[in-house]
Amino acid sequence: MGTARVVFDRWEGRYAERLRDVRSSAVRDLFAAASRPDMISFSGGMPYVDGVPAHTVADAAHDAIVGQGSCALQYGSSEGRPELREFITELMAEIGVRLRANDIIVTAGAQQALDLIAKVFIDPGDVIIAEGPTYVGALQAFSAYQPDVRCIPMDEDGMRMDLLEAELSRIGRRGAKFIYTIPNFQNPGGVTLSAERRRRLLELSHQYDVPVIEDDPYGRLRFEGGHIKPLRALDEEVIYLGTFSKIFAPGLRLGWVTAPRPILSKILLVKQAADLCGSAFAQVVAERYFAGSRWRRTLQGLTRTYGERRDAMLAALEEHFPPEARWTRPEGGFFVWVEFPEFLDTDAMLAEAVEHGVTFVPGTGFFPDGRGRNSMRLAFCYAEPERIDEGIRRLAEVLEDRLELYRAFIAAGAIPGRAEGAA
Amino acid sequence: MSKEKVAVLMGGRSLEREVSLTSGRRVSDALQERGYKVLALDVTADLVETLRAEKPDCCYIALHGKYGEDGTIQELLEFLGISYTGPGVVASALAWDKSVAKYLFVQGGVPTPSWITLTADAFKEMGAATALDLVPGELGGFPVAVKPSKQGSALGLAKVADAESLPEALLTALSYGEAAVIEKWVEGCELAVSVLDVEDGFQVLPPVEIQAKSGLFDFNAMYTAGETDYFVPARLEPDRAHIAVDLARKVHELLGCRDLSRVDMVMAEDGTVYVLECNTSPGMTETSLLPMAAEAAGLSFQDVVERLVRAALSRRP
Repeated sequence: MGTARVVFDRWEGRYAERLRDVRSSAVRDLFAAASRPDMISFSGGMPYVDGVPAHTVADAAHDAIVGQGSCALQYGSSEGRPELREFITELMAEIGVRLRANDIIVTAGAQQALDLIAKVFIDPGDVIIAEGPTYVGALQAFSAYQPDVRCIPMDEDGMRMDLLEAELSRIGRRGAKFIYTIPNFQNPGGVTLSAERRRRLLELSHQYDVPVIEDDPYGRLRFEGGHIKPLRALDEEVIYLGTFSKIFAPGLRLGWVTAPRPILSKILLVKQAADLCGSAFAQVVAERYFAGSRWRRTLQGLTRTYGERRDAMLAALEEHFPPEARWTRPEGGFFVWVEFPEFLDTDAMLAEAVEHGVTFVPGTGFFPDGRGRNSMRLAFCYAEPERIDEGIRRLAEVLEDRLELYRAFIAAGAIPGRAEGAA
Repeated sequence: MSKEKVAVLMGGRSLEREVSLTSGRRVSDALQERGYKVLALDVTADLVETLRAEKPDCCYIALHGKYGEDGTIQELLEFLGISYTGPGVVASALAWDKSVAKYLFVQGGVPTPSWITLTADAFKEMGAATALDLVPGELGGFPVAVKPSKQGSALGLAKVADAESLPEALLTALSYGEAAVIEKWVEGCELAVSVLDVEDGFQVLPPVEIQAKSGLFDFNAMYTAGETDYFVPARLEPDRAHIAVDLARKVHELLGCRDLSRVDMVMAEDGTVYVLECNTSPGMTETSLLPMAAEAAGLSFQDVVERLVRAALSRRP
């Protein structure tokens, strides 16, 4: 009873200025109401943890406590356990990045690394560059430090280098503190930065002396096409963020960061202030889980599952979505990005979608400046294929109603018809 | 020796949720300061259950926009037998539909800028988009204002300068609701005139003059500090001020409002005062117009809120 009771914040007016722009959105309120059991969720990028064998994890946790309790239950080093960092060097070597364990700091998910990096680099008003749209959690982590975020549009090959160059030349050498990119199966765009553009990005980074932050949570979840070398494999100055959330489970909150030594030592300082050290227990569990090669089969299975769900979503979009919609075709990861004619406001559509039993994330959340209102992110990672088809069908119903109006305007010649069809 | 229990209704699913939460918070604080037992409620699916269990003596409606201002919550509270602040079901529904309200203004001899209302169905089913070339002739040329017929806080409002921008503005307005109003743009001074109509008397508060720095008093201008200059009382000749005050009273009565309303007007350069719309659940935030006017009339925010609550309590079934 009384869940609707409003509790006011009597401390309002006493919070730090830096929290001014950090707020929970109305969209989040809607999601809170979207917990009906028949709801089909395309909103959260939640890994399919049921695909991780529970007994293997239970064994790893058991070993961690019974076999290594004196370490697992104790404080650890701020950099993270040497054993886990050693394993991370092996993972990185597999994607062409040669590191030593000392080059790595283990963080509480890559999300913590984003916060630490923001703390290290951003003063209020500093310019930083990101893809537009970009990861909402990064925007959130950065926004507490009050940067001026400039967003560079993408196409099917990722961030547009011509537009990046134009922005860099406008703000000048060292005009931005860093360029933040998610090159593989971008969140939310679903697109991958081509090999050619990776090289160009690094050239521009040097030419304008602006470091690159490469956030790579989905790199190992490729279900088609060939692997493209990470930026860090091409350039030792790149700051690289990795995570165990997608190849194991997000519940452990384990990620890592590697960066040039001077930057890494700054990150370590702020990391110590933030939490002294990460969870030793989680790290030992991960070490146990990744001992042997069974995890590789599990990961293959997970990737296959995501691939099937991607197929289901693309097929459903093709079948149910109106011709005015355009969407990306991800070769990995979790997300499809959909764009509509400009007048369509997906924020205004969400309430109706929730009524129809389906959720998505409206595009504006992925931009710092109110753009993206005619777009949405659809996560295919969580729902099963039949549910995906049903959810897309429900969403198409909501869309159809809006688009009918748009078509009437085109038919009357009141607005120009745009090029149609799926990209 | 606590006074009556008042449920302050706020939030909800409307697009003006945030504004409503701010209004609700101020109202709740004010009532608490005056010794009432306050139940601050965010309107969700268990509202009825909560109200039936808590049995408040009355409800203060601090909801804005759809469901709060269109008669929905009013009708529900009538059914539950709980008295509430503000106009009743019919007045709320009439005022909420800008187009219907304008027809009533015309019938009642209240000047209002000429307008056209077009519904989404008129476009979808009847080809209304082919008639947009007639708009300038009908309204005496551009610019025009385009707005959703039913929406508060000027959401979806656009000033359209030429025929080319009209379709986009209509599509935007129609993304907020089923009908759009295209209204002749009246250049001049924007006025908001609030009415307090409670048991101890009928009072038109001093007109507030609004000057948006961008020239358009839209959602942004309304709720961003420094985006708008206000003058209370408005810088009007006494005879113009009288006209505005009379019009506010007339509109309030024409629509059958009670307790409070805020009538938005514009005074053209030739001195004619036109009524644009009437709000039955005006904002009560720090930058809202009604509290501003009340203060100029020597009424504290707490006074206003308490009077409204007393009025609602006097209607207890």
